[in-house]
Amino acid sequence: MKKRTYIYKRFERFWHWMQVLLIGLLTLTGFEIHSSYNLFGYAEAVRLHDIAAWSFAVLIIFTIFWHFSVGAWKQYIPSTKLLKAQFEYYISGIFKGAPHPTKKTSYDKFNPLQRLTYLGFKVFIIPIQVISGFIYMFYGDLMIGSLEVMAYIHTLFAFGLIAFVIAHVYLISTSDEPIASLAAMITGWEEVDIDPKEEHRRHMQRAVDKSIAGYYRLDARGKFLDVNAAWLKMYKCVDLKNVVGKHYSFTRTEDDIQELNSIFKRVMGGETVIGIPVVRKCKDGSIGRHILSMNPTFQAGEIIGVEGFIIDIEDLDSMKRPMSYTIRNSNAGYYRLNKGGYYEELNDAWLKMYKCENKDNIMGKHYSMSRSKEDLVRLDEIFKQVTEIGETITSEVARRRCKDGSIGKHILSANPVYDGTEIIGMEGFILDISSLDEEKIAVDK
Amino acid sequence: MQNRKYRKIVSFILSLTAIVLPWLIILSIDKEIVENNASGEIEIINFQKDSLTNRVDHSQFEILQQEFTEASQVTEACISCHNERHHEVMSSSHWNWDRETVRANGDTVMFGKKDAINNFCISITSNTWKCTSCHAGYGWKDNTFDFGEAKNVDCIVCHDNTGSYKKDPLGSGMPLDKKIKSNGKVHFPVKLGYVAQNVGTPTVDNCGKCHFYGGGGDNVKHGDLSSDLYHADKNMDVHMDQAGNNMSCVDCHETNQHNMEGKVYSVSSANKDRMSCQKCHTDAPHVNNTLNKHTEKVACQTCHIPEYAKGVPTKMNWDWSTTGRLDENGEAILEKDSTGMVVYKSAKGSFEWATHVKPEYVWFNGKAEHYMAGDLIEDTTAVLQINTLLGEYNDADSKIIPVKVHRGKQIIDPVNKMLITPHVYGHDSTAYGEGFNWVWASAAGMKESNLPFSGEYSFISTEMYWPINHMVSPSGESLTCIECHSRDGLLANVDGFYMPGRDFSATVDILGILMVLLSLSGVAIHGLIRYIKKDCIACD
Repeated sequence: MKKRTYIYKRFERFWHWMQVLLIGLLTLTGFEIHSSYNLFGYAEAVRLHDIAAWSFAVLIIFTIFWHFSVGAWKQYIPSTKLLKAQFEYYISGIFKGAPHPTKKTSYDKFNPLQRLTYLGFKVFIIPIQVISGFIYMFYGDLMIGSLEVMAYIHTLFAFGLIAFVIAHVYLISTSDEPIASLAAMITGWEEVDIDPKEEHRRHMQRAVDKSIAGYYRLDARGKFLDVNAAWLKMYKCVDLKNVVGKHYSFTRTEDDIQELNSIFKRVMGGETVIGIPVVRKCKDGSIGRHILSMNPTFQAGEIIGVEGFIIDIEDLDSMKRPMSYTIRNSNAGYYRLNKGGYYEELNDAWLKMYKCENKDNIMGKHYSMSRSKEDLVRLDEIFKQVTEIGETITSEVARRRCKDGSIGKHILSANPVYDGTEIIGMEGFILDISSLDEEKIAVDK
Repeated sequence: MQNRKYRKIVSFILSLTAIVLPWLIILSIDKEIVENNASGEIEIINFQKDSLTNRVDHSQFEILQQEFTEASQVTEACISCHNERHHEVMSSSHWNWDRETVRANGDTVMFGKKDAINNFCISITSNTWKCTSCHAGYGWKDNTFDFGEAKNVDCIVCHDNTGSYKKDPLGSGMPLDKKIKSNGKVHFPVKLGYVAQNVGTPTVDNCGKCHFYGGGGDNVKHGDLSSDLYHADKNMDVHMDQAGNNMSCVDCHETNQHNMEGKVYSVSSANKDRMSCQKCHTDAPHVNNTLNKHTEKVACQTCHIPEYAKGVPTKMNWDWSTTGRLDENGEAILEKDSTGMVVYKSAKGSFEWATHVKPEYVWFNGKAEHYMAGDLIEDTTAVLQINTLLGEYNDADSKIIPVKVHRGKQIIDPVNKMLITPHVYGHDSTAYGEGFNWVWASAAGMKESNLPFSGEYSFISTEMYWPINHMVSPSGESLTCIECHSRDGLLANVDGFYMPGRDFSATVDILGILMVLLSLSGVAIHGLIRYIKKDCIACD
């Protein structure tokens, strides 16, 4: 997989070409000083060599600073992984048209052989040239008896540099796109291989970092390990430090904490909570609403905590709040099924009518659980009418099967749930008529 | 989008300016300094030209208004007022031609012009009367001369400001008392009274009279001291340039109690009372720091006197072994070259002359050793250094200096293995110039030197080293870097150190070139295989 990527930063490119210029000038003037030819004139050659030497020293200081400040030095850490493969590629594979054994990516732009070579170049050849050069320049002040040894070292490594440059320039041509590789050193941009896994990881990382959904991660004791910026914003916290290490209880009012406790407990037990609307207590004491997901986190197969996302529904909610409270607090049972007939939402009254204690026992289950076999046919019919044709059932007496197996009666309404023009489910209310029935029976009697 | 592109271009130009501009500024300043230096003022310290011309008008002193019949009367008149100065002169080298010298083996001996052997006229001993026409005294004919007699001091040879004082070339230091003709010039007898009334600080004329004529002729010995300096222009000598600095000898050769600063290493050995350019010009006279670093090991003269004998030729070779050739009539022969320089004389042998001579270069620390009369010569076939300038790279006091090397062949006693101090000048038949007999001349000369003579003689090749200090060229004429910093440059024979541009290690260079060739051929072969294989793959 290839992607146009910014692989050489502005300073990196400046440094590279400055190095080309200075090493070129140093070599050219250096060999004139060595009496290999006559070009600038000896005095001018010495003057240019000195100026280039000082410039190079300044460049090196900047470069060292840059490498450590942006962590770019890491790309030179030698690695033996694939070193042999890379070597074999150059001495045989390349002739057979074999693919490059390593891929150039923005975070790993040097192959193992390059890493080793450039590291040697930077920590061996260049320092030796620079140090021997400056000793050469100041040998009188340094009370060094003779230039001889320094001169020999300096000359030998100058030849070495030429040899390096020859190989270096040639190796550009081994790239799949030599011109593009060269151009990349000017523009910074190159089409490089990307590691889909690594790219995915980076995207995910970015998604979490930059998401408008809040992310949180708790340890087994319920204490915060990490949250993202969106989380902090939702909770009106400024600093991550104020959150990490604290117990989640500070995120809820006293009334609401029980709910979160039970969710946490369940997830620590291995369950996953997909999305529950909850009420949060922000740092400044204000209240907000969001949908929360929570899943366990594992280490070596053991649950070590939980994590999840929160999505703010404040805006959404503020319009519907009176209605939603009505539904929540109503004595009429509310239900919502998705297109598959599975429960998506229920209120407390519904649960009570069905004699259920826990909403989560029902959520995600099929409506067939709410009827005895003989009564299910009618509900199937209703579900079909509503979800397929879009009819609305205003009132229908139905017999429900409660959780304990007992039978109750209620009046049921059902209407389709739309997402745009598409029916995505069915919702409605139920009103218990069991007691009414008994009264009627009593009257009848 | 347009805006963003525009901003990008601006930021590129700005960063380019920020990087490139400082360098351009530095380079232009650097260049300016270099150019300014080429035409600018030279910084001088510790030098003040004497602005007083006549401190005292000597013509008004009664004692000098007499008719002097003897030169020594003038000296007595001088001493009558300057009643301490003669002690200073009489302890100076100008008077004694001798001083205590410590030899390499630790012996302290008396050595100087008086006892030295050279490869010109060889030795003063037994030829004294002729040589002492340049002595700052009167009447040193032979070894009976009284060095303690104050009235023998010649004050006016140095202090005459009339230019009319002349010693008799054959007068053992006495002033000319008769009209003579010499080299086509007529010289009149010295008017002692006139001279005595017009004395003052020595001028170039006073010094030049002897020092320009060492070896018996103009510029014969030194090479860098000739009559050209009487009327020097800038190209001849930047200091003595009459249209410019117009300095005289004593402006640099400062005198302390009649002891002159400056040495000539044909007769001196110790590193003291030396002249130095640095006294006025400092150790770092150049704007260019690289040049200043050179002063550590290179004497100023090395670069600033690229050639000597810029006018009058100097003698480069004197071969005594060819002496004695006579014409068919048995008469002495005199041969001249096209320029009129004598190249053969039966009594003296063969001469070689040269002008605009490029110096040779040696290490020198201010000390010298000498062949002294009576020293045994171990190898009589090798070239003998009459004086050896000491010094080497690793010696902190040593610098590279330019020298004139005077080569020659001179007479040696091969049995006793010592140089002969022959009796060459005189009116007797043992003088070689009269009798043309080396045995007689050697026997007479060696007897005078109190040295044995076996009766046999032969000739040995010798060298004398004359440091070159005068005829300083304008800065534009100085040696350029490449003249030394090249494979076969001027310093090719100066050893003991690594010099960029001259020296290299063949091993290092071969290794280096191999490395480059290996890289080149590796790349070429690799590329070639790729090219061939690529075609194959295409066929597949």
